[in-house]
Amino acid sequence: MWCSKRARPRVRDELQFHRDQLIEHYVAAGTDRTEAERRAFLDFGNVVGIEEAVRDVRGRRLADLTQDVRYALRTLRRNPGFAAVAVLSLVLAMGANTAVFSVVNAVLLRPLPVHEPDRLVQITRVSPDGRPANVSYPLFEHFRDNVQSISSAFAHTTASESIAIDGEDDFVTVDLVSGDYFAVLGLNPAAGRLLGPADDALSASLSAAVISDGYWQRRFGRSPLAIGRTFAIRNRVFTIVGVTPSSFRSARVGSNPDITLPLLLMMNEGQRREATSNFLKLVARLKPGASVEQANAEAEVLWGAFVTPLAAQVPESRRAELLAWQARAFPAADGINPFRDDLAQPLLVLMGIVALILMLACLNLSGLLLARAAARAREISIRLAIGAGRGRLIRQFLTETLVLVVIGGAAGLATAGWLSARLVTMFVNGRNLELSVAPDWRVFAFTAVAAVVACCLAGLVPAMGAVRLNVNPALKTMGTHGRCRLGKALVVVQLAISMVLVVGATLFVGTLAKLYAVDRGFDSDGLLVVSVRSTRPYSADRALGVHGALLARLRTLPGVRAASAAQVVPISGNDWTRSVQVHGDAVVSRESTTAFNAIAPDYFATLGTPVLAGREFNERDTSGTPLVAIVNDAFAQYFFGHRSVLGRRVTSLDVTYEIVGVVSNSKYEDLREAARRTLYIAGMQREAEPPSRYTYLVRAGAGDPRHLVLSVEHAVRDADADLRMRTAMTYATLIDRSIPAERILGMLGGLFGLVALVVAGIGLFGLLAFQVARRTSEFGVRIALGATRWSMIRLVLSDVVWMFVPGVAIGVGLALMVTGFARGMLFGLAPTEPGVFVVAASVLACAAILAAWWPVRRASRVDPLVALRHE
Amino acid sequence: MTPDGQKSDLLQGTLDVLILKVVALGPIHGYAIAQRLQQMSGAVLQVQQGSLYPALHRLEKRRWLKAEWAASDTGREARFYSLTKLGRRQLEAQRANWDRLSAAISGVLSTAE
Repeated sequence: MWCSKRARPRVRDELQFHRDQLIEHYVAAGTDRTEAERRAFLDFGNVVGIEEAVRDVRGRRLADLTQDVRYALRTLRRNPGFAAVAVLSLVLAMGANTAVFSVVNAVLLRPLPVHEPDRLVQITRVSPDGRPANVSYPLFEHFRDNVQSISSAFAHTTASESIAIDGEDDFVTVDLVSGDYFAVLGLNPAAGRLLGPADDALSASLSAAVISDGYWQRRFGRSPLAIGRTFAIRNRVFTIVGVTPSSFRSARVGSNPDITLPLLLMMNEGQRREATSNFLKLVARLKPGASVEQANAEAEVLWGAFVTPLAAQVPESRRAELLAWQARAFPAADGINPFRDDLAQPLLVLMGIVALILMLACLNLSGLLLARAAARAREISIRLAIGAGRGRLIRQFLTETLVLVVIGGAAGLATAGWLSARLVTMFVNGRNLELSVAPDWRVFAFTAVAAVVACCLAGLVPAMGAVRLNVNPALKTMGTHGRCRLGKALVVVQLAISMVLVVGATLFVGTLAKLYAVDRGFDSDGLLVVSVRSTRPYSADRALGVHGALLARLRTLPGVRAASAAQVVPISGNDWTRSVQVHGDAVVSRESTTAFNAIAPDYFATLGTPVLAGREFNERDTSGTPLVAIVNDAFAQYFFGHRSVLGRRVTSLDVTYEIVGVVSNSKYEDLREAARRTLYIAGMQREAEPPSRYTYLVRAGAGDPRHLVLSVEHAVRDADADLRMRTAMTYATLIDRSIPAERILGMLGGLFGLVALVVAGIGLFGLLAFQVARRTSEFGVRIALGATRWSMIRLVLSDVVWMFVPGVAIGVGLALMVTGFARGMLFGLAPTEPGVFVVAASVLACAAILAAWWPVRRASRVDPLVALRHE
Repeated sequence: MTPDGQKSDLLQGTLDVLILKVVALGPIHGYAIAQRLQQMSGAVLQVQQGSLYPALHRLEKRRWLKAEWAASDTGREARFYSLTKLGRRQLEAQRANWDRLSAAISGVLSTAE
């Protein structure tokens, strides 16, 4: 239509030319100019009308759209309050949707930036309850060499290491990979070469390493001279042979290694040989034509062949459990994705929540448009009366909505980056994880689709309602009752959705509160958790010495009340389980599994766990003295019932300990678990565990334990020249990290519940305020005829009740249908807990009362004289 | 029925064929078309701008006419219409149609006398 400039229609110019010619014609005929212009005007008639007629003939697309958009912007400018509310709720909703989707995209949708990622599969062991678990090196070899439907496979794990480079030490994150890692992924080096099977061999002539693009930049300024440089880890010298491409970080999502090393060189003998030492992930590439199902079937069969001889070697009692495990192959286009297991469910719940928020915002916008359409009924009927097409009017309504949605979407997209980054920060919470939520085409497409859906959802109903009106009566009076019913229906739906959201929010906030309130069995306030690393390996004697020296230094620091150490810090998610057998007269005398921990003296005093009987370890429990153990109450009850415990003997892995103390139960792996029977052994009696295997616990005398970090760091260096502090955090942070999903759901769920309340409140308020304004004269008449203020208030409130009750009832029904899905994410609360619904309904009622406050007041203060003059 | 499905009463159809006829004489702008029609009909036919311009644009859309901005004799830019090949054929067809129709009508009218 818009071809060359010469062919452009320019209807107005054309008509202008005609009129000017006409004027010239009259002037030439002797009329004076003013009169000529007047006559031309009379002859010509309405220029705009002709122009419209011509446009009708030509068909309108773009011109109309710009006109509509301009019109929409003008009306919005004229109603800044309306525009602000509509845009704000849309910005909130679109921002939240885009943000959550960005994270969903990063966690669940985005494939690895490698060659044909959809041909990658992960093969793993699967626990009896269906959860994928790690594999051991022998199992990796078993699968790699025997699964026929894969062309190659690699094993992968992560670590952090101290390296000595250029005479200084550096602490780096490391990916340990087997030889085919880069071949399976199909990657090309950014410089030098990548690791190959020849590097991942004990007989390799040179210990090769590749560095990441980030480390290349940070450490070497992208110098090509980096290739060939050497560094040492644990006394082994590695040579840098290449750099990984910048688009790639790791096969494991969230991992951002500085250095990638051959796995075989970094494993110890036990890890290489032990079939039950499970610490690796296995990823394979399917052969052309092979399917995941084939790989899965093979893995199941091969697992049977692997585990049967293994089961024959373990004690009878553990055999059934071992045989209950299975193996499975599943697609791994996104690589090894620890986020998927942790975050998939909460993210989908969040996605549902924000979708409901968007729906609320749309309904709100619908309500506002509807109210405005009612106010514009005269304008619309005039336009219909003078011949505007209904289709044209609907289009104009939709354009108006579209303008709002586009503004909301753009602002939402802008805030989404920030929001999703916060979301990830909340999840990562200082851990060594990296997740990029930079928007890609999927995010933009999602936002666009969401905007269009929102636009149709919000704009169509009021548009249809507005133009379906009967021209004649609408011209005579204002508004009709039909539209009001529609408005009320919208508010009922809003209340129902809000109810679902508030119920969800109550459940998640309640879960979080209950998790924090659960008795941990120790006092976590004022505790600092310190992990250390050594820049080089210690000999057995020195390790024990350094460990003791560090504890002694920590205890004498000013501001420190107590300090101790443990191999497994409670609630850190770590687990150390062993099989033990008690001696003598016991309730359970067979071998049985128990949680294990190695601790330093004063551990229970430092944590504030009561010692129920006997004593805790002290400085005298050292290498030369009889081996001692402490058990918790659950252990004592399980094995000995009410019989005395002290002095009894317990054996694990052929080592026998004497029980010298009983302590009360405390949480071991996480907050959710019930009390586990636990056996503590004395760290100072263990042979040669280096200090870096322990985590140190420092209790501050008063105030924030983080004030101690600097002095603790000095104490660590002073204890030994090769010892460094790795991380220091409060116990509260550690506990927060143990429940990332619950925290995200609790905090965001709560926040979104609040947003739902506000949005629904605005909807209710808007409708009531509009109704009260419209019925002012009716109220005036009623008051003039003797109605009391109270009856006015009742009149408005009964409207509120008639919307609130069905809204909440529908909401309860919907909530009952969906909360069951969240069962696994709750703690201490059933999805159908009546109390939760009561709380949610009360909160919603409060919001409704707040929203109704001003309109009700207004109704009760109608002055009959003013009101009657209003007409 | 006209190709784009609009109702075509006698008057409109007539205006179309008249316009085609006038434009067939050479490129011409809207004002001149109105003047020419008035002259040619001996001031019997007064074309309203409100009918003329929609008709012109309708014919252009049907590709019977083509239009171009060019300088008029006063030097000012005007939109000049000229006949396309399709338009010329249409003019022939419509004229034949008109002849047949008018002959039929006058036939009817004269027998009724």
